[in-house]
Amino acid sequence: MSMFDGFKFRSVSSPVHQMDPRAKFIYVCILFVVTVMFSNLIPLIILFLIQVPFVFMARVQKEWMRSMKGSAMFAVIIFVMNLLSLYFYTGYETFGSILERSLAMTVRFIVLVQTFSIFFLTTSPDMLGLALEQSHIPYEICFAFTTAVRFVPVLAEEAQTIMDAQKARGLEMEGGNFFKRIRNYIPILIPLIVNAIRRSLELAETMESRAWGANRNRTNLYVLKMRREDVLLILISLVILAVSIYVSMNVQMPSIIQLLTS
Amino acid sequence: MAIIEAKRLTYTYPIGEKPAFRDVNLEIKKGEFVIITGPSGCGKTTLCRCFNGLIPHFYGGRLEGEITVCGLNVREHPTYEIAQHVGMVFQNPENQLFALSVEKDVAFGLENLGVPREEIRKRVDWALKITGTYELRNRAPYELSGGQQQRVAIASVLAMNPEVIVLDEPTSFLDPIGAEQIFDVINSLNKDLGITIILVEHRLDLISKYASRVIVMQNGQIVLDGNPREVLVSEEARLIGVGIPKATLLYKILKLRGISLNGPPLSSDEACRSIMEVMSR
Repeated sequence: MSMFDGFKFRSVSSPVHQMDPRAKFIYVCILFVVTVMFSNLIPLIILFLIQVPFVFMARVQKEWMRSMKGSAMFAVIIFVMNLLSLYFYTGYETFGSILERSLAMTVRFIVLVQTFSIFFLTTSPDMLGLALEQSHIPYEICFAFTTAVRFVPVLAEEAQTIMDAQKARGLEMEGGNFFKRIRNYIPILIPLIVNAIRRSLELAETMESRAWGANRNRTNLYVLKMRREDVLLILISLVILAVSIYVSMNVQMPSIIQLLTS
Repeated sequence: MAIIEAKRLTYTYPIGEKPAFRDVNLEIKKGEFVIITGPSGCGKTTLCRCFNGLIPHFYGGRLEGEITVCGLNVREHPTYEIAQHVGMVFQNPENQLFALSVEKDVAFGLENLGVPREEIRKRVDWALKITGTYELRNRAPYELSGGQQQRVAIASVLAMNPEVIVLDEPTSFLDPIGAEQIFDVINSLNKDLGITIILVEHRLDLISKYASRVIVMQNGQIVLDGNPREVLVSEEARLIGVGIPKATLLYKILKLRGISLNGPPLSSDEACRSIMEVMSR
């Protein structure tokens, strides 16, 4: 189980899955901005907590937990690095405040992972492509995007086959230093790339045979429609943004240490 | 009425020195079910690419002679225009599906043509039902078996409502059961919808009973052309190495032994019936 499983789309039917990808995208962008805006522990913890009900609404708790667990290692690294650098390079702070700053940075990272994980877990690449298309991005680019996503599992499988075939012929994959290991992958990469080029030619042939480029005004089988829920999500995101801007400009955020000691 | 007409057609690939096929004269009528067969490298795939304009528009190279498809001169009309009349299904099903759901793939051609949404919906559902893939419509292509993928590929061509469907060895990546289902679908397209079928195929055992005509190519030329019963029984077909159906081979063996059946059979069912007839005589 890798950390990336926490970002792979899961086809579940839930209110969050059915939301317009554009609305969700706005939500992700705003949350990203807000998360980066704060460096205090309290608002970051609040940001983390308000997203939890969203996860349960989307019924992706299990996958979300996986992304959380997967990012735990990075979180620890971020915490330790912050602690060390703050301790050695900024001498003016007490240990308590250094601890709190490091924790804040760690929580910030976790909130970012959480936000993106919710987005990718609940938005199918197809919908994402559609959202791109209906945001007036040239169709060629959207097509390249969805096709790339569609061929990821195919190419992964092919790489595995080539690897097995080369191993069967006596290729040693493991062992050696860093450069040796990279060199080991050349016999895998060359057939993989050659096959991919061949595949792309066949794809081009098929596209031609399906009237690619026949009409400037392409139609689409699906249309995205903003519904009430989507507008609501955008409104909530905007409110979060407005409140955050107000708070960060006008309110002196207390630190937990201060609250505890006073 | 000829739907495809080629006169003295010769084609050389840009990197090739000698022509892939030479002086091909061919006339295919509306509603025919044509099988093109012959050893690999005989030019059958190349010939098929001319039927929808991939040659010369996509491949370049030198095309001499005349070819008209559905009244359109292939040289003068771009592939996307001819593609509305001639659907093309290729060998590898995996490389013919590029969307993330079956339904979207079938809609791809119609979307390109700018067909209104309600019409796309109708035609996609229709094509999915005919090819027996309606239940798969929300699945991702990589979740499907090869046979299912190839049926989806046929559906996506069918949705464009072509008069001719060209299939270039559609079953070479499939297992026998998958192949049989494909052949059934192809046959119903021809018999029920009246679509002209051109099928390139090596394995003639399962399919020759449906065909109305067999064309055998060798070294870039058409060497045999006619009714499957005549072509497949002929000595030339055997010498070229055409995959003659076993039922037809049995007929030839029996004939050598002095037992003559009513006529050359193309399937085991037919062979059974005529052997029973002979035995009851």
